[in-house]
Amino acid sequence: MLRFKPAALIASTAILFAACQGAASPAPSATSGASSAPSASGASSAPSESAAPSTAVKEGGDLIVGLPGDMVEADPSLVSDSNSSYIQLNVIEGLLGVKPGTLADVIPVLAADLPEKSADGLTYTFKLRPNVKFHDGTDFNADAVVYNYDRQKNAPKPLQDAYNYYFGAVFGWGADSNLKSVEKIDDMTVKFTLVHPQSNFLIAQAPLPQFGIQSPAALKAGDADNPDPGKSPYAQGQGGTGKSMVGTGPFMFKEWTPNDHVTIVKNPNYWDTANVAHLDSVTFKPYADQAAELNALQAGDIDLAQTIAPNDIATLKTDTKFQVIDRGESCNIGNLEMNLKSKPLDNQHIRTAIAYALNKQSYIDAFYAGLAEPADNFMPPATQYYKPLGLPTYDPDKAKSEIQASGLSGDALTLTFYYPSDVARPYMPDPKGLAQAIANDLEAVGFKVNFKTEGWRTGYLADEALGKFPMFLLGWTCDWPGPDNFLVTAFFHFQGDKPNPEFAYGPPELKAAFDKGATAPDDATAQQAWGDAQDILKRDLPFVPLVHSKPPAAASADVMGFKGAGNLNELLNSVWLNR
Amino acid sequence: MATATAPLGRPLTVTSSARVSRGLWHDALRRLLRNRPALVGLAVILVFVAAAILAPLIAPGDPLAGKLVDRIKPPGGLHPMGTDLQGRDVLTRILYGARISLLVGIVSVGLGVTMGGLIGAVAGAFGGKVDTVLMRVVDVLLAIPGILLAIGVVVWLDRGLPQIMFAVALTNAPIFARLLRGSLLALRESDYVVAARSIGASTPRILFRHMLPNALTSVIVAATLALATAIIDVAGLGFLGLGPPDPRTAEWGTMLTDATSFYRQAPWIIFFTGAAISLTAIGFNLVGDGLREALDPRLRH
Amino acid sequence: MLKYLVRRLLAAIPVLLGLSVVLFAFVHLLPGDPVAALLGQHATPELTAQIREQLGLNKPLYEQYVIYLGQLLSGDLGKSVINNRSVVSELALRFPGTIELTGAALVFAIGLGIPLGRLAARHAQGWTDGVVTVISLLGISIPIFILGYTLQFFLSVQLKWLPTSGRLDPRTHLDAVTNFMLVDSLLAGRLDVFVDAVKHLILPAIALGSIPLAIITRITRAAVLDVANEDYVRTARAKGLSERRVDDRHVMRNAWLPVVTVIGLQVGGLLAGAVITETVFSWNGVGRYVVEAIQDHDYLVVQSTILVFALIFLAVNLLVDVGYAFLNPRIRFS
Repeated sequence: MLRFKPAALIASTAILFAACQGAASPAPSATSGASSAPSASGASSAPSESAAPSTAVKEGGDLIVGLPGDMVEADPSLVSDSNSSYIQLNVIEGLLGVKPGTLADVIPVLAADLPEKSADGLTYTFKLRPNVKFHDGTDFNADAVVYNYDRQKNAPKPLQDAYNYYFGAVFGWGADSNLKSVEKIDDMTVKFTLVHPQSNFLIAQAPLPQFGIQSPAALKAGDADNPDPGKSPYAQGQGGTGKSMVGTGPFMFKEWTPNDHVTIVKNPNYWDTANVAHLDSVTFKPYADQAAELNALQAGDIDLAQTIAPNDIATLKTDTKFQVIDRGESCNIGNLEMNLKSKPLDNQHIRTAIAYALNKQSYIDAFYAGLAEPADNFMPPATQYYKPLGLPTYDPDKAKSEIQASGLSGDALTLTFYYPSDVARPYMPDPKGLAQAIANDLEAVGFKVNFKTEGWRTGYLADEALGKFPMFLLGWTCDWPGPDNFLVTAFFHFQGDKPNPEFAYGPPELKAAFDKGATAPDDATAQQAWGDAQDILKRDLPFVPLVHSKPPAAASADVMGFKGAGNLNELLNSVWLNR
Repeated sequence: MATATAPLGRPLTVTSSARVSRGLWHDALRRLLRNRPALVGLAVILVFVAAAILAPLIAPGDPLAGKLVDRIKPPGGLHPMGTDLQGRDVLTRILYGARISLLVGIVSVGLGVTMGGLIGAVAGAFGGKVDTVLMRVVDVLLAIPGILLAIGVVVWLDRGLPQIMFAVALTNAPIFARLLRGSLLALRESDYVVAARSIGASTPRILFRHMLPNALTSVIVAATLALATAIIDVAGLGFLGLGPPDPRTAEWGTMLTDATSFYRQAPWIIFFTGAAISLTAIGFNLVGDGLREALDPRLRH
Repeated sequence: MLKYLVRRLLAAIPVLLGLSVVLFAFVHLLPGDPVAALLGQHATPELTAQIREQLGLNKPLYEQYVIYLGQLLSGDLGKSVINNRSVVSELALRFPGTIELTGAALVFAIGLGIPLGRLAARHAQGWTDGVVTVISLLGISIPIFILGYTLQFFLSVQLKWLPTSGRLDPRTHLDAVTNFMLVDSLLAGRLDVFVDAVKHLILPAIALGSIPLAIITRITRAAVLDVANEDYVRTARAKGLSERRVDDRHVMRNAWLPVVTVIGLQVGGLLAGAVITETVFSWNGVGRYVVEAIQDHDYLVVQSTILVFALIFLAVNLLVDVGYAFLNPRIRFS
């Protein structure tokens, strides 16, 4: 059982107390009011939007979307992968959401407005949006909200952590949960009560479909709480519309043939009448292979590729029948990570030398098709309280003098370097290529590289988490764009107060800065504390951040109104086909 | 004639008569040297062997380190076969790649023939219970699709070229065992083996002097084909992320796999690397055909 | 004959039992475990240990094997740790796809390979032989994935003749009965869907069939040449029978044997090749399923799926053996 430690809670989550104020509150003018969420499609200035519509919107049509993988379960509370979430976001809505096309603008969705928070930070009261119906025709109301939170909080033990991840990471389980209660005040009002103040309360829930509200009737009928999801028709997506994935969103679930496709169809009775979907249906097809996905796009077998390999951008840009869609601000980081217990990486001169040796811009040109920026911090610029740190930049001579200063030479300069052999991640589209380029830069200043590899799921993630890798490629895509989600998660994980074994780094003063930021009573104090934390990281340079990437989507030129977001929080109701 | 337990690996050659002579191998070599396609094949192989040996002398560039600014240059000028994504000269890598790829092909097939041949020879020579047990083991191995077996071996024994060679050998071994054992079983009953036995020749003598040379023809054809597929198997493992741990390794299969992610932009890498593999495959197969014909007793007069 | 069949079926039992032990030992001895795949980047040492316990992975291996065997004997192939779906229902969904694919590849390889092999043998050492040899060896020295991309690029992207991927147009709704698209489309009376399914089948079948095509061509050529030098063939020729008649009557009848053996062995190779073909063509089959399961250490999925592979392989080879009896009167079943 994952114990939810109060101290850890404050450290890892209360940070967002301040973060959410920065993210959500400053934009109330854009978000308050029942009619403004999500904002109307058609605004054309955002860089993250596909070709601005110049003609009138056409209704109807079927969109086929290529995804990197299949949905895992039809119940979002059982999954934590991005493919499932990408589909489910369009079907299941939560009390809160993120404004389309942005990373962090928290907006009310099934809530009528942002909640009222008590002065002690322990209760949040939500007014619910009236006249909303689930896809099975039942009413959305306070009972439904209470039912959904209670079922997750008391999830069967075999489903906790392993399957139902995010609820545990944000709130914790059962009696140990920081979510003391969710009560119905009246039909259209619910009150959340916390054990300790939890500042990520808003921003952690807003982007994650794991906190969506599903029809209690359908959940019960589909045996959604069976401790074996394999035996739950609801989780297996059986029965079609109104039987599985029953939310309130602009699209309704229709069918799922595992490993082949998921189809969702337009919800003609969507509560947000200004944003009823234009498309009749969207079908998601998994493509395990990016070269095959490019062929499928060009042959017209799919209309939109959610992610394409940077190597293919040049090919598509020369063809007017296709568009490459920039997703705007990056919400990820790709790193050359290090374990400070291993030699010679325990030596700060060596880490500094490595940082000077790496020509980040050359990697961006070669492996990211230019769609990335060199990292100058341990979190992307879109994160709250980010500040440029002035970390070492490419300078082989300085690298050599740092090596000299370390006093090490010969075999002591051998670096054991792990890369994942079988995966492309948004923050490292070609780990194998990137690893070679890094090795060449390192060997050019006098290091010797000894390559090791493991399969991503076969052992890479597990062994890395156990601290078995001296130096390795890894990164993080935000769950939510707060400093805790990057910094605390990296060095102390979601729940722990011990340093993660993967870095074996976490001095007390860093921990203190994290805690201070987490419990800061006001924005200025939070800014100060998070700034201190970043300065400590700059001083110690526990590893070398490489890039923040902006992996693009690609689509047929007649796909209009697509709003991309760096965290893949993308609603497809604004999309229409100009054909 | 084959019995009910033994019909699977029917031999390619059902020899009705065979002259067993001291000069069998000598004869075969002489006949091989008169076979023109086989000589062409031999020449191709020798060119690649020479390339492998002389690579450091004739290769224009560095096979491992490249400059990113030189990446994806089409063929021409300083780079007759262009450059790859790391900015390395493709010709250089093909020359150096010959070293590892020929080694991978020969070692993995040699090991596979040895392992499989041993099992097949014992089973075929002794028959009976030994045969039954060994063939059930072979059935178990054959029943696991080769690449899955290879994936398991590589995951189990860790990454690396020796492990990959062993994995490929292991997937080939049961096929060779089957082929050899089938031929041997048929030969066991043939006139000249019965004759040799009747004059009191020892079992090993019969096996090595009389039966093996005649049973080898089917194995040779299969083995020369397997040489090409071995290199391709390495590419397949690379495709699934199980290639050699050092991604800089100049090895044809790995080069092909890496080139696929940008085959639209740099088709020449696949073209030249694929050509090297195909030529090697053709070379080995022409020699294999020649060997088979040279060893066929009926063609000897 | 019947007695022979029964004996062969009985002989399959120790093979399958042996295989179940080998597979079990094999997947459990692989370093790592399914928890790593389950937790991904959320893994911590504490969480990993706790979920190992929950999944019963801390029990002694022999105990886990006995549990597994008990399940197997009661017809339960287990379920995936990763997505909780039962292996039986996954196989019902995916095996038909793999069988359609490998069947089509085999039809392609045999249908083209045997005539090509005979052609090459008839013109042995001539330029026709040379061309056939080179083409078949090209087939064998191009990895499936590269051949697949190339076919997609020319026939789908450039010429737009055939679809790139999948088993059916995703806009088509077809009620799954057997999960064989060729069958289900006809059951639904949808000739257009049947044609669509065939179109989807062509490229992956060619990509997957290229290596068996090369092997069958080579073996046919070798076998025909072998037989052509037999005394009875020479006799037949000497008697003045036409080449064509000699070919059909005497040569092929005897040359079939090694060809059929190799075809039987190719089934294993096709199942292996399907692993990569299914990835390249986003084909909903069992090959991709089992590779992911190996990578995820999804023990029960690996064990049970490969056991089913083995069953198919043994069945095909039993058929091949029975086929001998009809092809060669000299083989008697004792």
